[in-house]
Amino acid sequence: MNPSLRLDRRCKEMNEYMKKIKVKVVNENGIHLRLAGELVKNCSRFKSDVHIEKDFERINAKSILSIASLGAEYGAELTIIVDGQDEDQAVSLLADLFKSGFSEGTE
Amino acid sequence: MFSDKFAGKELIFNGIPVSPGIAIGTVFVVHLDELAVTDNKIDEDEVEGEIEKFREALRQTGEELKKVKETLAEDMGDEHARIMDTHLMILADNMMIKDTEKCIKTEKANAAYALGKVLKKTFESFARMDDQYLSERAEDIHDVKRRIVRNLLGQTQEGLKELRRKAVVVAKNLTPSDTVGFDRKYVEAFVSDIGGSTSHAAIIARSHGIPAVVGLGNFTHNVRPNDNIIVDGITGQVVLRPEKNTIKLYENAREKFKEMEKELLTLKDYPAITLDERKFELSGNVETLDEIDDVVSHGAKGIGLFRTEYFFITSPSPPGEETQYRYYRDVVKQIAPESVIIRTLDVGGDKIADWIGNIEEANPFMGWRGIRFTLSRKDIFRSQLRAIYRASAHGNVRIMFPMISVMEEVLTAKQICNEVKEDLLKERYKIDEDVKIGVMIETPSAVILARHIAKEVDFFSIGSNDLVQYTMAVDRGNSRISYLYDPLHPVIIRSIRDTVKAAREEGIKVGLCGEMAVSEGALGMLPLIGMGLDEISAPSYLIPEIKKIIRSVTFDETRSLVRKILRRATASEVRELLCNFIIEKRPELKKFIPKVSLK
Repeated sequence: MNPSLRLDRRCKEMNEYMKKIKVKVVNENGIHLRLAGELVKNCSRFKSDVHIEKDFERINAKSILSIASLGAEYGAELTIIVDGQDEDQAVSLLADLFKSGFSEGTE
Repeated sequence: MFSDKFAGKELIFNGIPVSPGIAIGTVFVVHLDELAVTDNKIDEDEVEGEIEKFREALRQTGEELKKVKETLAEDMGDEHARIMDTHLMILADNMMIKDTEKCIKTEKANAAYALGKVLKKTFESFARMDDQYLSERAEDIHDVKRRIVRNLLGQTQEGLKELRRKAVVVAKNLTPSDTVGFDRKYVEAFVSDIGGSTSHAAIIARSHGIPAVVGLGNFTHNVRPNDNIIVDGITGQVVLRPEKNTIKLYENAREKFKEMEKELLTLKDYPAITLDERKFELSGNVETLDEIDDVVSHGAKGIGLFRTEYFFITSPSPPGEETQYRYYRDVVKQIAPESVIIRTLDVGGDKIADWIGNIEEANPFMGWRGIRFTLSRKDIFRSQLRAIYRASAHGNVRIMFPMISVMEEVLTAKQICNEVKEDLLKERYKIDEDVKIGVMIETPSAVILARHIAKEVDFFSIGSNDLVQYTMAVDRGNSRISYLYDPLHPVIIRSIRDTVKAAREEGIKVGLCGEMAVSEGALGMLPLIGMGLDEISAPSYLIPEIKKIIRSVTFDETRSLVRKILRRATASEVRELLCNFIIEKRPELKKFIPKVSLK
């Protein structure tokens, strides 16, 4: 498939069919390795595919190494894209997770 | 490395023997992950097997990590153990597993290489992060990778302290942190690419009586875990993947060595006394605290040379008075009631601490070293002397200055000692006010001045290595002129004789703390007995051999041997005299003559 066509389709999919939310990292130390692990654990509870975008980079949120390599520091803005049968539950849980700072408290 | 193409071929390497003994065993590699992983391709029909190998390594690593987690939970509680969950999640990372397997399939890469390639991208993005906290987390990923690679290469333990089978330990370099907590009964030998006789591996090996060969160049490039290996700590030869005949040869040599060692150690509790009852004091050369037990276990009394350079050189800045005090105090307490001779800092020459900075000298061995250094860095000298004097309250301490060449140095150093002593007494420290002060005799000028110096000090210790170097004007490290470096030359024997005579005239004690006592087995020791030195200090493991030689001869016969030696002008005549003496009069000492000396 022609790459620009593929990109086109992806944008379309994203816009029309996928659930998408914007979140902000409130954890003082960013999404470090342990939090990345927490995130993977939570994402893996759902059947849906979960991806995260940061600065036009898009990674699979079920891979701890991929999340950790994003280098999402404090204040970073991320887009979470969920696609699948349980996407509604996933989106609401992930939104809460980021808002509460992974219940990390004041680390 | 790790290509089966080399299997079955015997490889021979020559390094520096730093601790005697022979080991025949299998290889255990420390820091396996640091050794180069090759990019050797696999064949199409090996792809399935390679992927299976990769999965098996993941499985083994998983079990390993779970065990670490359990141990952590027991030792530090569940809270701490949870950090291993992150490791386990990294191990289970789908991206990593799928990409690695894809790389094996499409590029025919070996598994270790494929994994490295996949994780390289991850490490690169970590390196790009601005946030230091986030980027430092890469260490956990490195740890998991190390474990997988190690399991891929067939070695189940990581560090030396987890070693639970007998093995020959191989490393590029062995650092103190590598050897922490290792179990002596599993280590058959140490082998390393870098190092010399005073490197950490050498010291640890000698103090535990483990055979060791260092300075083997790029030996680790050829080695694989569990390879068969022979280590000869006597000649410095290492044979990798030896053939059957070679193994047989070395099994015999090992038996012989063990028998001799056993026989020598039975002398442990006997005095070092000649057949006609002339007594010698034997003491150990020591560089670190953990060598002290061996001094006693090898039947030496006290420490005849405690080197302080190691302590200074391994510190990022000169250690302060308090640190030094605690260190010397532990040494003194551990060897009490026997005495310890602490030599003041002998940096310079080939031993330079980083904190001195970059000093470039055309002739470092004739340059700013030993007492010359400490007298111009009185801050360092004073703090060391203060620490030694304070430690003297806990036992029997003597102080010794290295590299003395003129009287002025002796007088100034003594003056500073007195000032330090007075200061400490004023500050109400408890010290031994009667600490004996001595000097190393290791320059020709000190030998010539010995009569005068003897009036100012309590003892001499002859440093034979440097004395040979300076008297013969020969650079020890220069192989073109190595024929001149000969402790058995009549010039050296005469210098020692003159030093002993000067000491006798003033009634002070005289010892020797160089390698001469063991140069060419019994040959070096015989003249030392005949010249009537009071004390011989040597590395602990050599003490039994020295004792055996002393107990096999009479003072009288060795004294007349020295008289004959002094009438000769060449080293070969001296050698002939010594060999003939042993063959004719004391044939039981023949096993202490190296074959090269007999020709």
